[in-house]
Amino acid sequence: MVLDEATGLTRAAAPLCQLENDLGQHENPAVGSPGELAMSRVLLIEDDRQTADEIVAELVDRGFQVEWAATGIEGLDKARIGDADVMIVDRLLPGIDGLTIIEVVRQEHIRTPVLVLSALGAVDDRVRGLRAGGDDYLTKPFAILELIARIEALLRRPSENRDTMLRVGPLELDLISRTAKRGDRPIDLLPREFRLLEYMMRRKDQLLTRAMLFEEVWSYKFVPQSNLVDVHMGRLRRKVDGSDEQPMIHSVRGEGFVLRAPA
Amino acid sequence: MVKGSFSVRLPEFARTTTFRWTLAISGAFTLCVILMFVFVLGEEYSYLSSDVDRLNSENARLVTAETKENRVRRLNEYLQNDPRRVKLGGLFDSDGNRIAGNIENLPATLQTDSSPTDVSLIRVDAFGRDRQLARTIAHRLDDRSILVVGRNVQQFTWIVGVVRRALTLGLIPALCLGLMAGALLSVRGQKRIDAVNRKVQRIVDGELRERLPTRGTNDPFDKLAVLVNGMLDEIESLVRRLAGVGDDIAHDLRTPLTRVRVSLERARQKAGSLDELRASVDKAIVGLDQSLAIITALLRIAEIEHSRQVYGFRDVALADLVREVGDLYEPIAEDKKVDFAVKAKEDATVHGDRDLLFEAVANLVDNAVKFTPQGGHVELSLLRKGNEAVVRVCDSGPGIPIGESDLVMRRFYRSDKSRCDPGLGLGLSLVNAIVKLHGFDFRISSGPGCVAEIAGRSADA
Repeated sequence: MVLDEATGLTRAAAPLCQLENDLGQHENPAVGSPGELAMSRVLLIEDDRQTADEIVAELVDRGFQVEWAATGIEGLDKARIGDADVMIVDRLLPGIDGLTIIEVVRQEHIRTPVLVLSALGAVDDRVRGLRAGGDDYLTKPFAILELIARIEALLRRPSENRDTMLRVGPLELDLISRTAKRGDRPIDLLPREFRLLEYMMRRKDQLLTRAMLFEEVWSYKFVPQSNLVDVHMGRLRRKVDGSDEQPMIHSVRGEGFVLRAPA
Repeated sequence: MVKGSFSVRLPEFARTTTFRWTLAISGAFTLCVILMFVFVLGEEYSYLSSDVDRLNSENARLVTAETKENRVRRLNEYLQNDPRRVKLGGLFDSDGNRIAGNIENLPATLQTDSSPTDVSLIRVDAFGRDRQLARTIAHRLDDRSILVVGRNVQQFTWIVGVVRRALTLGLIPALCLGLMAGALLSVRGQKRIDAVNRKVQRIVDGELRERLPTRGTNDPFDKLAVLVNGMLDEIESLVRRLAGVGDDIAHDLRTPLTRVRVSLERARQKAGSLDELRASVDKAIVGLDQSLAIITALLRIAEIEHSRQVYGFRDVALADLVREVGDLYEPIAEDKKVDFAVKAKEDATVHGDRDLLFEAVANLVDNAVKFTPQGGHVELSLLRKGNEAVVRVCDSGPGIPIGESDLVMRRFYRSDKSRCDPGLGLGLSLVNAIVKLHGFDFRISSGPGCVAEIAGRSADA
């Protein structure tokens, strides 16, 4: 499940991971809906062959079209064509540095969303990656599902609509009056719960990992050791999903959460 | 002082700075002494000369004043009574033939009626005939005869001789003594440096127990050695602690990894269905994630400990921060049935990195909630003590045994009382790293339960 260049974990992890995904579609309907995102083009700029192979295999399995560039120069050439829907750029590359590629591409007004990968975990480095024009940042080693979830999130970035009312199935969120209701049942939310629900409703049907939620909803840069996100999510779920209602907030075991309209 | 190929052949001590300085100082000292003697001699000479000149001209005047007939008598009277044989006088006719006196002949270099000069003369008297150096004047008298009056100044030469002997006897031993002292000092210094060198070499080779030699005197060298030894103590204890940390890391990583291995091994042999296999794989992933979390936490601590970057620091309002942490942990405390109170009535501002401070406070609360049993209470409060802002986390948990409060800040330290509780044992060392980066104080004390405080100088005080 975890990609780690230094160890042989990749080899062992990949088939298991694959197994879960092949069989997991029915049980975990939340994880990606390939139909919608299929044929999205991903440009992967990564110099480590093993890591790249694993990522490519995983993405291809999920129906993405993947192009792989192994050096900074090759990557920059491909990125400048600008026909990818999302780019995954390693921070440290031979030839041209990953951040330089992003800066050049942004200067040429190519708005393709970029996920920066790095073995450097420094908070500073993360900030630098985002400042250079990256849209998200992931530290190695990472869980492959975390990578997929983030790529899907980048591909389905909520449009900048000015709607003051969010709707997912029977769930309604009024951003002006700060109220929520499910059907006719009003839901009483604390401010932090409101923020969480808003974030999830804007990204319905997407897998939201704990790290993503923690970074985006709470905007904290560290990952707490306790099951903080789970507890907060538990609260929200008890309010959103009544005992006699069909659940809308689903947890994906070990990975994160998905909000979807009841079938 | 000798450059080039010669310096290679100089003995070791002669090449030290100490010795060269001694040499230079000795030289300067000698020069000063010689200059002083030259000055004294010069002064002495001019004093004595003027004295002699006065005597000579007085006597010449006395002889001249006599009538022509009495001059010889007068001169002879003057020349008598001269046990030291210093008086010289002579009367010569206009052709330079001696008429009277004890000077054998009129010296050719002597000019009449000019200023006194030093002349070499031949003295002739009852004791014999010998050459003398004399300070002399000559006058041509009214009858064209020449009167010469002089005084032996051989004593000046004697004085110069005395001075030379004094210099030889005084200066040369002094100089030798200086050089010897210089050589001795540099040899001694060299020896100490050699001794230190050998010790340092041993330390470099890994013998961290070695210390630089000290003599218990209070000289600068000793002080330096004591200082360096103090540094070595600190390094030794750090290295030991690090080695301990290494063991702890190995242990803490081995535990989850062993579980992963066992789980996978069993699954490979025993799993009868895909579901069973997946359950085992899930367990394995949890174990791997735990190991990774440990590594991540370690890297994070190292990152904070090594960062010297304080340029991102700005004013942080602590009341907001404390309320936010409270907000974040309130549901967790409630789930655990732990009473959680947040008290931040007064605001206080400190200079720092908000994210890091948040992380530190969150870690303290995380710990407190984790270690407080069901039904207990945790209190997070912001206080002001003078110009100090204090964030305090108290809990009713088991507390920290006396003497362990320093230890808990170390990586992986987990009190034996809490070995069974989950946690990485890295939380407090992370807090400590953050607090140190800010230059704040981190205090842990055991009341009933545990009291942890982060105290920083308030920016608005």
